Amino acid sequence: MSSSVGEAISLDLKPMLDVFSVLITFLLMTFSSDPISHDVSPGIELPESKTIISLDEVPSITVTKTEIRVGDIKVANIIAGDVEEKAREQGAVYPLWEELKKIQKNNQRILERLGGKEDKTGTLTMEMDDSHRFKLMKRIMLSGQQADFITFKLMVAKQGG
Amino acid sequence: MSLHRKKRRKRIEYKEIELNIMPFVDVFSMLNTFLLFSAVFIMIGITEVQIPFLTNAPPPKEKSARFLNINIDVTKEKIEIVRTYSMPPADEMKWEFTFNKDGIEQMHRRLVSLRKEDPDIDKVTLFSDDDVIYKDLSNVLDAIKLRFEGDPIFAVKSSDKKEQEAATIFLYPKIVMGSVML
Repeated sequence: MSSSVGEAISLDLKPMLDVFSVLITFLLMTFSSDPISHDVSPGIELPESKTIISLDEVPSITVTKTEIRVGDIKVANIIAGDVEEKAREQGAVYPLWEELKKIQKNNQRILERLGGKEDKTGTLTMEMDDSHRFKLMKRIMLSGQQADFITFKLMVAKQGG
Repeated sequence: MSLHRKKRRKRIEYKEIELNIMPFVDVFSMLNTFLLFSAVFIMIGITEVQIPFLTNAPPPKEKSARFLNINIDVTKEKIEIVRTYSMPPADEMKWEFTFNKDGIEQMHRRLVSLRKEDPDIDKVTLFSDDDVIYKDLSNVLDAIKLRFEGDPIFAVKSSDKKEQEAATIFLYPKIVMGSVML
């Protein structure tokens, strides 16, 4: 009882400093200097890749296990690994094509205003769950092709990253 | 004088001093918090592919020469490389690999030897079955596109810095997804 009255205790902070130092060293070593920092959308597992090319723009198309989104707009549902029937059109995804066409028109308008070189084809960055089949990827790429997007940047998780 | 100094030195008393590490702990805490919040635990990369594009523009003149065509067919069980020439004799050759880690490595080695055969050709056309899983296809794309350790660097004719840098990274920089056609 008497020991609890007015006794000064000193906390040994050295072990905590040791842990902090190690943690800071690790975090500084792994600090990302990629031009774009993007968090993988929830519900998506990216395929692993040995690529060293970093992401340079935020994805335009997001394909989770259950839906396809263009930016924040949901364009179609995915049922049993394929696009719902009402959204299919000639092997492509009609609502996706509509959204991509809008993006392409805007891109062209901006390019015209800036007086850039006339290039009718565009590039899309796609974030897609690794469990999907190529059939779905083909539908999405076909939709892009119809909206004049012919280059696709597929988002992957860098191995060892 | 010198005796005086000696005497003074002896008088020095060593006191135990305590370093105030609290400001140091504060800085560490702030730095830790900042780094933990801004940490990226999954490094995201990209694999660039192209899809065929129909155009009414005339074909480029250099295409009239005899050049190498490399097609790769991917099914769930196997990968097949088909090599042909654009003009007769087509000299078609095929190589088959099982769709597993070893098979993909063998395919990569075959692609390296094909690139040696014609270093100017930097394009591969890939055809995939609908039921191939994206995760597996990504491994095939890596093996086609990227230079692995020990692979030779194929010199590019262009003096463009970007293209020369790409030559150190890629084996076949251009992959066209041939199956994406209406």
